[in-house]
Amino acid sequence: MSAAIETTDEPVAPPRPGVLSRLLRDPGAAICLVLVVLLIAAAVFAPLLAPTDPYDNDLSLAMQPPGSEGLPLGADAQGRNLITRLLFGLRVSLLMGFAAVLVGGGIGAMLGFVAAFYQRWLDGPIMRLMDMLLSFPAILVGLAIAAIFGPGILSVVIALSVATIPLMARIVRGSALVVMRLDYIEAARATGMTDARLIFRHLAPNCLSAIFVFATLRFGQVILLGSALSFLGLGAQPPIPELGAMASEGRNFLFFAPHIAVIPCVVIFVIVLAFNVLGDALRDALDPRLRF
Amino acid sequence: MLRHALHRLLLAIPVMFGVVLIGFLLMQVVPTDPAIVRAGPAATPDVIAAIRADLGLDQPLTVQFGLYVWRLLHGDLGTSIINNVPVVQELGATIGPTLELMVASLFWSIPLGILLGTLAGYWRGSLLDRAIMALSVAGVSVPVFFVGLMLIWFVGFQWQLLPFTGRAGPIWTWDGIQSLILPAVSLGGVFVGPVARMTRTAVLDVLSADHVRTARAKGLTERLVVTRHALRNAMVPVVTLIGLQIGFLLGGAVVTETVFSWPGVGRLAVGAILSSDFPMAQGTIIVLSLGFIIVNLAVDVLYAALDPRVRGA
Repeated sequence: MSAAIETTDEPVAPPRPGVLSRLLRDPGAAICLVLVVLLIAAAVFAPLLAPTDPYDNDLSLAMQPPGSEGLPLGADAQGRNLITRLLFGLRVSLLMGFAAVLVGGGIGAMLGFVAAFYQRWLDGPIMRLMDMLLSFPAILVGLAIAAIFGPGILSVVIALSVATIPLMARIVRGSALVVMRLDYIEAARATGMTDARLIFRHLAPNCLSAIFVFATLRFGQVILLGSALSFLGLGAQPPIPELGAMASEGRNFLFFAPHIAVIPCVVIFVIVLAFNVLGDALRDALDPRLRF
Repeated sequence: MLRHALHRLLLAIPVMFGVVLIGFLLMQVVPTDPAIVRAGPAATPDVIAAIRADLGLDQPLTVQFGLYVWRLLHGDLGTSIINNVPVVQELGATIGPTLELMVASLFWSIPLGILLGTLAGYWRGSLLDRAIMALSVAGVSVPVFFVGLMLIWFVGFQWQLLPFTGRAGPIWTWDGIQSLILPAVSLGGVFVGPVARMTRTAVLDVLSADHVRTARAKGLTERLVVTRHALRNAMVPVVTLIGLQIGFLLGGAVVTETVFSWPGVGRLAVGAILSSDFPMAQGTIIVLSLGFIIVNLAVDVLYAALDPRVRGA
């Protein structure tokens, strides 16, 4: 292979630095990556890190401010250790977001691939259906699903998944249509491969960067929407620790013990901000041509 | 122009039909029988059967759906299970405050967003640009209820400057305006960021266009180039994108209304769902959805009016 290179007079491009190093060149993105890793670790290891049980309450400690003895972040209105609640709340919120992006993104990506692959007959119907779904704001979908299934974590996950499907389908379709025009797809088709194999082995891998960038950005949005639905009382029900629900509980004690509401709010803000900044940076690092 | 509007309207009809169908099916899956609820706990089976017949509940599902659409078209959305008030009456009382809140939020956030976006785009790469963009990312990442709670805590409670619960009166009264300020500031606050971001992108696109270069070449002042030639053309995509973000604003309004106990449709819907008031939940969700579709339609038509190139598409 070296012979082939030596015979050309064209200058050889310097090796492209890896995605990670390009990502880390941006200090904001590097900080956010560290934050995201720490937050996920905190959620995963919550049972080991938490000093108490999330449902243990001691009314004598109710509304203790941050910095009290044994309570670095204070206690909530029921006298539960806020740092424990926060660690487990992080767990529930992140899991809800993860489930919604996985389910909604998975279904959306499949629909996007199918629409692009069978462009002649399926593209129109699928994408019109997606336009219809897209015409509903996520909170409205959340209200409708909560009205049907009753408030709860499952309702929120369903609503956020449904709201994610059309967005992912659009992005994957757009990305797949570009790949479909490339010669190697034609070549692979000429070898007599089945459609399913073509889609999974040849089409999908080339759309992964678009999927990954969108999933990262969407994760932040989904956490924000999920916490809003829980704040409204339509999501996680007390006493389950969930960041939005915790903020909602704390709202009643805003004037006596503002930390109960403020601390979960700050954590939600940090998670969403970290995922948004990371998603933007990831897009620039993976493929600057992506625009969404 | 008219053809474009008609075309969009025709496309919106199946979506509206879908909304009504989903709203109707919602009532079929909930575990409550409206006839039993209406008859009350002491009713005999005969009475319940009579009410079923009266409401058309003994008819096949397709006939029921027809009846439902018929009632809907006549402005009958049923009555609340909780307080026996017609749903339409409650909706009529809450739509005004919701529109008030949304319009007041847009009233200050759009001009501010456009101003910040233009500054950022014009001085691209400067410290100001970076600061504005950082602010805009923070704006799309912050929960609306966090902004609301902070405003209540500082402006309402600590400094005692403005009221923070409920709507003190209609918009044309001084009390009404005062009580609207904090909700409108918190809802508009999360809208400034997206508008600034969209404007910046549009301004960047336009500033490199030929007609802007021509305007500069003929010696116009920089202020005229930006306001007359660049910003005017940048507004077309910004208007559409703002229209598309109305859904985002509506979602924020539901949360803001709850935080500030603002008597709007969003708070009504959430309350109805939490108290299992199914007719009320159904009515509010249908009306919110239809309202949203109509706004989208209006934006679409407005876009065509602003940019003649769209009409053929």
